[in-house]
Amino acid sequence: MFLTRSEYDRGVNTFSPEGRLFQVEYAIEAIKLGSTAIGIQTSEGVVLAVEKRVTSPLLDPTSIEKIMELDSHIGCAMSGLTADARTLVDKARVETQNHRFTYDEPMTVESCTQAICDYALQFGEEGAPMSRPFGVALLVAGVDEYGPSLFHTDPSGTFVKYEAKAIGAGSEGAQTALQESYSSSMTLAEAEVLALSTLKQVMEEKLDNKNVELASVRSSDAKFKIYSTAELEAVIERL
Amino acid sequence: MQAPQLPTSQVEQPKESRFSPYQNNGGTCLALAGADFCIIAADSRLSLGYSILSRNTPKVAQLTTKTCIASSGCNADMVTLQKYLKFKIQMYLHQHGKEMSTPAVAQMLATTLYHRRFFPYYTFNIVGGLDQNGEGCVFSYDAIGCFERLKYTVSGSGHALIEPFLDNLVAYKNTDNKPTIERSCDETLELVKDIFSSAGERDIYTGDFVDIYIIDKNGTRYEQFPLKKD
Amino acid sequence: MKTKPVAEPSTRTQQPIVTGTGVLGIKYNGGVMLACDTLGSYGSLARFRTVKRLEKVGDFTVVGASGDLSDFQKISSMLREMSTSDSAYDDGCNMTPRDIHQYLGRVMYNRRNKFDPLWNELVVAGFRDGKPFLGAVDLIGTMYEDDIIATSFGNYVCLPLMRKAGTNLSKEEAKQVMENCLRVLYYRNTKSSTKIQIATVSAEGVEIGEPFEISTYWGYSAFQHTEYHGKRL
Repeated sequence: MFLTRSEYDRGVNTFSPEGRLFQVEYAIEAIKLGSTAIGIQTSEGVVLAVEKRVTSPLLDPTSIEKIMELDSHIGCAMSGLTADARTLVDKARVETQNHRFTYDEPMTVESCTQAICDYALQFGEEGAPMSRPFGVALLVAGVDEYGPSLFHTDPSGTFVKYEAKAIGAGSEGAQTALQESYSSSMTLAEAEVLALSTLKQVMEEKLDNKNVELASVRSSDAKFKIYSTAELEAVIERL
Repeated sequence: MQAPQLPTSQVEQPKESRFSPYQNNGGTCLALAGADFCIIAADSRLSLGYSILSRNTPKVAQLTTKTCIASSGCNADMVTLQKYLKFKIQMYLHQHGKEMSTPAVAQMLATTLYHRRFFPYYTFNIVGGLDQNGEGCVFSYDAIGCFERLKYTVSGSGHALIEPFLDNLVAYKNTDNKPTIERSCDETLELVKDIFSSAGERDIYTGDFVDIYIIDKNGTRYEQFPLKKD
Repeated sequence: MKTKPVAEPSTRTQQPIVTGTGVLGIKYNGGVMLACDTLGSYGSLARFRTVKRLEKVGDFTVVGASGDLSDFQKISSMLREMSTSDSAYDDGCNMTPRDIHQYLGRVMYNRRNKFDPLWNELVVAGFRDGKPFLGAVDLIGTMYEDDIIATSFGNYVCLPLMRKAGTNLSKEEAKQVMENCLRVLYYRNTKSSTKIQIATVSAEGVEIGEPFEISTYWGYSAFQHTEYHGKRL
C-alpha cells in the first residue's frame, strides 16, 4: 500500500491508478488534526462554536481567531490549517461584496459556499493562487432569502448542506453526540447549549470563556455576530 | 509681432467623412408601475436622420419572467447591451439557481453602463417589472448608469413631450383633480396607447407600432398597438 | 535645419476608398431578391465597371454590400472561411440566414469598437424553413430586419418605390421592381451604373444572376430642359 502511494502522492494533479488524488486526501487528513468546530442550524438561526487550543498560559486566547465574518449575514468556522482559511475567507469576502455591488442584494449562503469551493480547487497549476490543496475545512453559516443554512466545505472543493456538523479532531464523537441530541425544532438558545456541551464532551481541557468561541446568525435580523465574553459566559451558565 | 500668415490655398480642402461610432436611431420608451403590475412600452420605428430604416424593430426585450427592458438611442449599442444583459441573467440563473429579481437587474444594468463610462453605450434605458414583493417597479437611467427607482418614467426622443403629461396624469402634479382610487392595469394600458398616439403626432422619431409588455402576478403579456406610419 | 522624426497618428479606415452604391432587397412570394449595380467608384471616377457585390454564403444566404469594396472582400473571405468550416463539420446543422446576419452584426460592432470599422452597409437575404429572411447591418453594427431594405442612396431614391410596389409580388414582378428602382437610381446617382446584378433566394436555393445592362430613357423633358433644374416651373 505504502509503495503504490509513494508513486502517486507527490503531484497534486496526478491520479493514482485507483482514481485517487492523494494530496487532496492528505489535506482532508490535516483537518482531523485541527481543533473541533461545530455548526448547528435551527429555524431561528445558525450557531457556530469552536474550540481554541490554548497551549500555554502565556498565550493570549483572544489572538486565536477561528470564527470569521464573510458578510454581514454569513460567517464561518474553521478547522485544519487556519492560515489557509485566510485566503478562502478573503475570497468569500470579495465575492459577497462584489455581489452586493453588482446586484444590490446579499449573496446567498450556497452561492458564497460555491465560490469558496471553486477557489479551493484552484491549486497546482502555474499561476494558481495555491501550489497545494487548502488544508482546511469550513462550516459556512448564514441566513438568506431561503432562511438559515449551514454548509460544510473540504479541501476537495466539495460542499454539503447540514443541519448539524462537527469537524476537526473531536468530530467523530461530536457528530455522534449531535446526531443523538439534534432536533429540527430546537431553538437557537438550545442550539447554543448543544454546541457548547458537545464541544465540552470532546475537549481535553475544561471548557471556559477563554478556550471556546461562539457565534451565530439569527433569522430575525440576518446578522452574523461573534459572542462577547459576557454573552459567552451567559451561555456557559446555561450548560 | 504678428505671426507670419501661412499661404492659404485657393483649392477647396479635401472632404473627409470622419468616422463616428454613434448613431441616433430615435425612439421612445415608457414605463408605468402600479401597485401590483407594470407596463413597459416602446415604439418600433428605427430612424436615421429623416429616413425610416425599419418600422418593426423592437426596443423592448423581456429579460426574466417579471422584468423587461426598453432602450432607445443607438441601435447597435442597444442590441449589444440587451444581448449582454440576457447573457448575464442566464449566467446568474446557472450560478445562483434562481431568477434575477428586477432590482438586481436594475443594479446590474447600472454597473454595466458605468463600466463603459469612457466609451458609453449610447442608450437610454428603462427597466420595468415586479420586485420581490410583487409590487410594480420602474427604473430610469442615463447613458452612463445613473439610475433611480420611480413610479413612472419615459426616455428617448419623445421624452420632453410625454414627461409633463405623466407628471400631470400619473403623479397628479399641478392639478386639484386627484382621484381617490388608483388607475387599474387596463386603464393604464389605455393611457399608454393614448400617450404614444399623441407623441407619434409630434415626434418624427416615434411611430409605426408600440410594443407593450404588461407584467403582473400572472406573468408577462405582450400586445402590439399600431401607430401612424407617417 | 534638423527635422525631428514625427510619429504619425495611427490612422485606420477613416474613409471608404473604392465604393459601391445602394443595394436593394425585397421579399416576394416564395423568396427574397437582392439587386445592385456592378460599379466600383474611386471617388467620382467610375474605376471598376464589373465588380460583383453579391456573395453567396452557405446554401441559403446571399450577402450584398455597399460601401468600401475592399472591406467587403475581406468580409467575403471571412464568410467563405466560416461556411467552409461550417460544412466541414458535416453535422447537418448549417448556419441560417439569421445566424449570418447576427454574426455580421457582431463583426461590424466589434470593429467599430476598435475605431477601425469595416466601411459597409450589408444586406443579408436568405430562405430557410419556408420563410424568407431580409436583414441589414451597417458599419457601426446597427442591425434590423424588414420586408424591404435599401442602402445608401437607394434608401432615399428606391425605398419609396419599393414601398409602393409592396411585397405581394411574383418573382418576375419583383425583378421588374428591382430593375426599375436601379434605373431610377442611375438617373439621379452619379455613382451608379446600368450594369446590374440580381440574386434570388427561395426554396430552390440561391441563384446569383450574371451582370446585365438595363435600358435607360433620357427623352423626358425634365432631363432635356436642364435650364429649369432647381427652379420652380
